[in-house]
This record gives sequence, C-alpha cells and structure tokens, in this order.
Amino acid sequence: MNVSYLELLKLAAPETIVVLTALAALVVDLTSTRDLEARFRFIINGMIACAGCVAAIVWMLVMPAHANALEGMFVVDPLTQVVKIALLGLTLFTVLISMDSTFTEHIGEYLALILLAAVGMMFLVSAEDILMIFISLELTSLSLYILAAFNKRDVNSAEAALKYFLFGGMAAAFTLFGLSLLYGLSGATNLGQIAAALEDKGLDPLLIVAMVMIVLGFGFKVAAVPFHLWAPDAYQGAPTPSAAFIASGSKVASFFIFAKVMMIGFTGGETNGVHEIAGSAAWQQFVSGWTPVVAVVAVLSMLLGNLVAIVQSSVKRLIAYSAIAHAGYMLIGVMAHSGEAVASLVYYAVTYGLTTIGAFGVVAVVEARSKDDQLASFAGLSRRAPVVSLCMMIFMLSLAGIPPLAGFFGKFYVFAAALKTGAPNLGLLWLVILAIAMSAVSFYYYLQVLKQIYVADMPAGAEELRVPVLGQVVLGLIAVGVILLGCAPNLLVGVLQASIKAAGL
Amino acid sequence: MNVGLEHYLVVSALLFALGLLGVITRRNLLVLYMSLELMLNSANLALVSFSRFNDNLNGQVMVFFIITVAAAEVAVGLALIVALYRKRQTAHVEDLTSMKL
Repeated sequence: MNVSYLELLKLAAPETIVVLTALAALVVDLTSTRDLEARFRFIINGMIACAGCVAAIVWMLVMPAHANALEGMFVVDPLTQVVKIALLGLTLFTVLISMDSTFTEHIGEYLALILLAAVGMMFLVSAEDILMIFISLELTSLSLYILAAFNKRDVNSAEAALKYFLFGGMAAAFTLFGLSLLYGLSGATNLGQIAAALEDKGLDPLLIVAMVMIVLGFGFKVAAVPFHLWAPDAYQGAPTPSAAFIASGSKVASFFIFAKVMMIGFTGGETNGVHEIAGSAAWQQFVSGWTPVVAVVAVLSMLLGNLVAIVQSSVKRLIAYSAIAHAGYMLIGVMAHSGEAVASLVYYAVTYGLTTIGAFGVVAVVEARSKDDQLASFAGLSRRAPVVSLCMMIFMLSLAGIPPLAGFFGKFYVFAAALKTGAPNLGLLWLVILAIAMSAVSFYYYLQVLKQIYVADMPAGAEELRVPVLGQVVLGLIAVGVILLGCAPNLLVGVLQASIKAAGL
Repeated sequence: MNVGLEHYLVVSALLFALGLLGVITRRNLLVLYMSLELMLNSANLALVSFSRFNDNLNGQVMVFFIITVAAAEVAVGLALIVALYRKRQTAHVEDLTSMKL
C-alpha cells in the first residue's frame, strides 16, 4: 500500500485549508486582536474564518477530484464534494450569525472549534472505512460538546453540554461496539469489503446485534426517537449559534454517512427483489432487516416530535422537537436506499439545515434583546423588526413545507423517492401518508410562532428592535436562498443527480 | 481448556453490559464517565480478539486510535464537569434539572 503523501495532501486540501484557518483564527485572536472591543474581535476573526471556508469551497469548485485513497479511508468524488461544499456553506452562515453575539470572550477558540467540527464533518462525509467513520464522528462530537458549553455565564449551557456529552458518549460506545462486531464478521474495515464478505451470509444473529447498535448510534446523531432525549435540552441550553450548528451541519453529515453505511455496508444478496440484510418495510410484506428497524424509528420520531412540539413555550425547544420530526421524514429517505433517495435526502438535509440556521439566527436576535427565547418574547415582533420577522415567516413556512419554499420541495422529493423504491405496489405508501398527516400537525406550532410575531400585541413599552445591518443582510441572504432553492430546486438537484451518477451509488 | 473467540466475545459483551448498567444506574458523573470508558474498552477487547482470529491487524490499529479518542473524550468530559461545578457546586445527575418542559 504505497501512498504519495503529496497526492494525499492535495486530495485533502479543503480540509487542510479549514484546519489552517482554525489555527489562524486562534493565533490572530491571541496575539493581535486581544485588546480590541469584543465586537471588532468577532468581526475580524469571523472574517478570517469565512475566508477559509470560501477558499476551501473555491478549491473544490476549481479542482474537482475523483479518488479513493488508502482503500476507502478517504474517498473524494463529485458527491462528497457537493456535500462538503454544502457543509462549508452552513459553517459560513453559522459564523456569520454568531458575529453579533456576546456570550463569550474566547472568540478565537469559539471560531476554531466551529471550524474543527466542520473538518470532522468533512472527513465523515469522505469516509468509507469504519475507523475513519468513528474518528471523524468523534472529532465532530467532541467539538460540538464544547461549543454547547461555551456560555460559561449560563448554568444551562454547561448542563446542556453535559447531557449532550453523556448521551453522545453512550451512543459512541454503541456505534463502536456495533462496528467492532461488523469487523469481526467480515474481517475488513472497508465498507465495500464488508458488504462483499456479508453477501452470502444472510442475517447472522451477531449481524443483527451489530446493525441495531449502529442504527442506535446514528439515531442519536440525527436526534431520532427514542435516542432524542438530549436534543431539546441541548438546543435550549447551548448558545444559539452553537445550537444552530448542531442542528444543521452535524445533521447533514450524519444523515449522509448513515445513508452511506446502510447502502454500501448493509445490502446483502438479493432474493425476490429484496436485499437480504436490508429487508423491507413495505406494508404487509415486512422482511426482517435494517429497514423495518429504521421504519419504527422514523414513525416514532414523526409522531413524538410533532405532538410534543405543540406544547412548547420556548422557541428553541420548539425547533428542537420539530428537528426530531424532520429527522423522521429524512429517515424515510434513508430507508428508500436508492440513488434517487440519496439525492433527495441530501437536498432535504441541506435545505433544512439552511432554514434552521436562519430560524436560530432570528431567535438569537430576539434573545439578545429580551434575554429569553419564550414565545411571548416574540409578541408583536413584526412591528418592532419588520425585516427579521419577514425572514422568520419564510423559515417557518419552509419548515412547515409550504410551496414554493425549499421545505416543500424537499418533502415532496423524499416522499416521491420513497414511493418509487416501493414500486410497483407502493409499499412505503403508509409511511408517506403518515408523514404528510404529521406535517399537517406541524403547521399548528409553526403558525403559533408566526401568530405571536404578526398578530399578538406588542408588550407595553416595547420599542423598535435595533438589529445590526450585518445580521439583517445574513438573515436576508438565507431567506433568499430558501426561496431560490424552493423555486428552482434543479439548481441543487441537478448537481446532486449528476454527482451520484458519477460516484456510482 | 482451549480459549476461543467466543470466550473473548462473552467477556467483552459482559463488560459492555456492565458499563451500560453503570451509566444507567449510577448518579455520580465521575462514575458515569468510568462506565462510559468501560463500554469503549469492551469494544476494544472485541476488536483485538477479532483481529487475532481474523488474522489481520486492522482491528489492532483501530484500538490504538480508539484509546487516543477515549482519552480526548474524558478530557472534554472532565472540563464539562468543572464548568458545571463552578456554577452549581454539584457533580450529580439528579441536579441536572434546570431545563424541563
């Protein structure tokens, strides 16, 4: 196994650029901007971080690569590059919405951790080897735990991070044990080789244990019921920009690797059109395998997420429960396990991540002035900050799935891909019907937020909210992105389909 | 007696179960961390024994990485305990209740 390190460095150049940027932000903040006012420090170092993300994106656009280094340890193909570009975009927006915040004096460290988490996600997307998957998962998670605890003045922040850490550590142990069983059964660490070794073995009992443990570990990462308990507390207690990053970037990367592990590693030989290890969750024709397991998780997530979100009074908690519900919809895309389904899943995850960052950005604006994120604090916001309110309306309607916004097309595409997989007898129709019914329920709580903003009276003595220009521009940009991706989904879908074909999934 | 793969696997499964039991029943955060470590190390034992019986070294290499990652995880976890302790003067999970529906 001869590797040219220069070649490897070239392949991993985007990741290298982001790591170097993280170090640069750290050094600049420690040496030159230390004595400046916090706001300027955030702007200067934030700009460095943004420049790094843009440089990495430009590198990937200019130098498209297609290679598989070290037997699947690091796979670069058009699909992973698209997902990485999307991840860097989400990182960029997270940095931009955090520039207005005042929760920490350790600005260099904060930005460096965001960038390191982004590097973890980028490696995760490129990994096709269980060792790399575990290590990049841990790099991402460890950075996110610290980001959740970053507000040292707030008790809730440490508590949120601890809960996130305890659940995360347990999920990591489950994933690792599952992966070790997988290695034992196949004698290989590469997903492709694992699949080849499992091809004719059928459903070994040990394989079932491994499968369930891996689904459990990833289920935690994507916050699906019954592994969701950390999410509401982590979202509520963590500083808002950190929560936005946990809800967006980490979700996109985790869903992508979840789908990839299941699709490449767990297919097995085919009998009667059904993959032996995947099984089938079609109505009245259940075949045991991982898809029925994921189906159960998806159903529970959609039901619990949507129903519990209704009674929330904290907007961040409301978004957290809605995130659980959205994880349920996205799991339908994982279950469909076809090339089309991966395209729909990535589209859904990316647009959902973008919308969520926007929604958290608005929450951050309100929170900075009223000191909490209760629904009541949003009362009459449309008269106090019209631009921000308009953005929030776009985000909430997109999350609810109203055409022509991105959220609508995302749902439509995932459901269509699921139905196509179950064709000709539309086996997954029952799940799609349930998902559509539950999205109707979700209208109620999204509109509840909008009702506070547009209909409720302003609290007495409230004055106009002064939102920094930068903040308004960023939120406006995200809102335009959500509208654009919804009106012209082909912008992203076309690229995704072409790259999936090129990657041969 | 001939010690085979299944013996190692049984031990590792027992260790994993013991760790999980600890995480679920213990109330002190430090003990919780130790139980988490036990779960990770049970996976290490499984990996090493699989590596021995599969006749390749991939599993052993993985163990090295996992030990390093586990150390990093504990460092982060202890930092979180310190952050919590400064605010709350406690290291017990029953006291993590400031956020509820």
